[in-house]
Amino acid sequence: MNNKKSQWLALPYAVYAVIFIAAPLLLIVLYSFCTDPQNGIDFTMENFVRFFDFANPMYMQVLWRSIYLAIISTIICLLLGYPMAYILSQLSPRVRGVVSVLFILPMWMNFLLRTYSWMSLLEKTGLINRLLEALSLPSLDIMYTQWAVVLGNVYNFLPFMILPIYNVLIKIDKSVVEAAQDLGAPPYRVFTRVIFPLSLGGVASGITMTFMPAVTTFVISKLLGGGQNTLIGDLIEKQFKVTGNWGFGSAMSVIIMVLILIAMNITPGDKEESAGGTLL
Amino acid sequence: MSKELIRLKDIVMTIGDNEVLKKMNLYIRDREFLTMLGPSGCGKTTTLRIIGGFATPTAGQLLFEDRDITKVPPHKRPINTVFQKYALFTHLNVYENVAFGLRLKKVQENEVKKRVGEMLEMVNLGNYGERTVSSLSGGEQQRVAIARALVNHPRILLLDEPLGALDLKLRKEMQLELKKIQQHLGITFIYVTHDQEEALTMSDTVVVMNKGRIQQIGTPIDIYNEPKNAFVADFIGESNIIPAVMEKDYYVRFADRGFECLDAGFAPNEDVEVVVRPEDIKVVDEQKGQLRGVVESTIFKGVHYEMVIRANGFAWLVQSTKAEEVGQEVSLLITPNDIHVMRKGVAEHE
Repeated sequence: MNNKKSQWLALPYAVYAVIFIAAPLLLIVLYSFCTDPQNGIDFTMENFVRFFDFANPMYMQVLWRSIYLAIISTIICLLLGYPMAYILSQLSPRVRGVVSVLFILPMWMNFLLRTYSWMSLLEKTGLINRLLEALSLPSLDIMYTQWAVVLGNVYNFLPFMILPIYNVLIKIDKSVVEAAQDLGAPPYRVFTRVIFPLSLGGVASGITMTFMPAVTTFVISKLLGGGQNTLIGDLIEKQFKVTGNWGFGSAMSVIIMVLILIAMNITPGDKEESAGGTLL
Repeated sequence: MSKELIRLKDIVMTIGDNEVLKKMNLYIRDREFLTMLGPSGCGKTTTLRIIGGFATPTAGQLLFEDRDITKVPPHKRPINTVFQKYALFTHLNVYENVAFGLRLKKVQENEVKKRVGEMLEMVNLGNYGERTVSSLSGGEQQRVAIARALVNHPRILLLDEPLGALDLKLRKEMQLELKKIQQHLGITFIYVTHDQEEALTMSDTVVVMNKGRIQQIGTPIDIYNEPKNAFVADFIGESNIIPAVMEKDYYVRFADRGFECLDAGFAPNEDVEVVVRPEDIKVVDEQKGQLRGVVESTIFKGVHYEMVIRANGFAWLVQSTKAEEVGQEVSLLITPNDIHVMRKGVAEHE
């Protein structure tokens, strides 16, 4: 009875979800099978055939580059984020609170703004290079390269790696760590045999939460990668906003969504427990 | 008795402004079952953590076979612990939990198999190897924790209120089982509990602690029959504690009359305290009685009745298998045997 009644409370969200999430998603799937969806619905495999054209693998190359850069970004995020999360989890609760706010702080600022500021930092005459010059060190010339894109990815998505791992780490019972020591584990063994295995759930959701936006980003690649490093996100954006080929844009969106779904299902770890962005 | 195994020498532990342990001295013999008993906050768990290596004392030394191990980290001590909340590894199955310590020591696989198998057999979990930890009941998890610690053949096993989370019946079973295991393996057990019955049931030696200080060390029988001070008398079992005056050797005055007793060696007219256990006060015929009083309440406790009888200005707690009616006038007898005289404030204040 009560349960039935309270279900109605979810109605506004259900309506919202249908209008703004489910319907657009279905439309994209529908459009991906149309030749020219703005002018009428038909059925064609044309868009997918065009994408997977082995004679002209341009699009697949872009997809591969997106995945490749996303993987590199995710690996760097993991290598930086895990120790960071670990150190954070070892701090006293008060310091911990302050430091985790510092991590979230940049995320209160607009994403575009942050990326623009990296542009001015990395420019030939930017802050970093002027500093290097002043120290008479060789200049850093990575603007408009893949590495600038990776840097942008890592900078923007690092908190999404740190927070889920941190969340899992602080929940590990201290007595479990003591039990491992008690049974003869020196500190590094305590880590490899107990702490790391127990934190895999956080690692899995960290990877998903970094990899997904990194694969589909288009702002970062456009601003920091210049024209030379087109990613799948840029391609999709171009189809909708420049070329006006909604069918092909939708098809690419569907392809990337399917890829992400597959990726999410093969990442190890307990999805229930990983509790993604509880801190976000 | 067997030789000394571990000794705490002038151990002081200060956490913040709080002196958790005040110059503690204690030695534990090989193959002994020693229980540290006291209310929460008395320092018993801290003592255990110091022995296990999880806490470093502010001052003092911990000697293991005359070797100073105060600063030796836990993984290098021949000591294993059964933690209060089991602290099992949820990412490993039962078998791997028990094998954890052996794997770290790089024990050969067939030896691991043999020892883990034996251990699981001993705690009655023979077929549980493949089970996940989370699928076990509290009592089963407890057994895994015990097996995981004992499989390493430690010289000392520390147990931090390991039975606290179990229900009464299971707790009693485990008490007997632990005692059996301890005698079978010949390992020194240091057991921490706030349950006095548990302490009396299992231990060779009981250490009663309060406010960071040892109040008394002795066999369960000593602790029960000869409590050193009012705290011990009160904490171990039920008791009547009455202020008294030791008029001369073997003669003590309390509740407005003199009693023959078996204690001697006090100053003439020294202020003392007397303990009389409720089961030692007998309700008798009027002509044999020493005290005369009125029954204030009677409660049925299963084996016996527990009565409060007001006599000579005191409310006496009396246990008897025969109930007296409330309001009834009765006579009480306390024989010299059942009077235990204690010096005032020994160990407790200092």
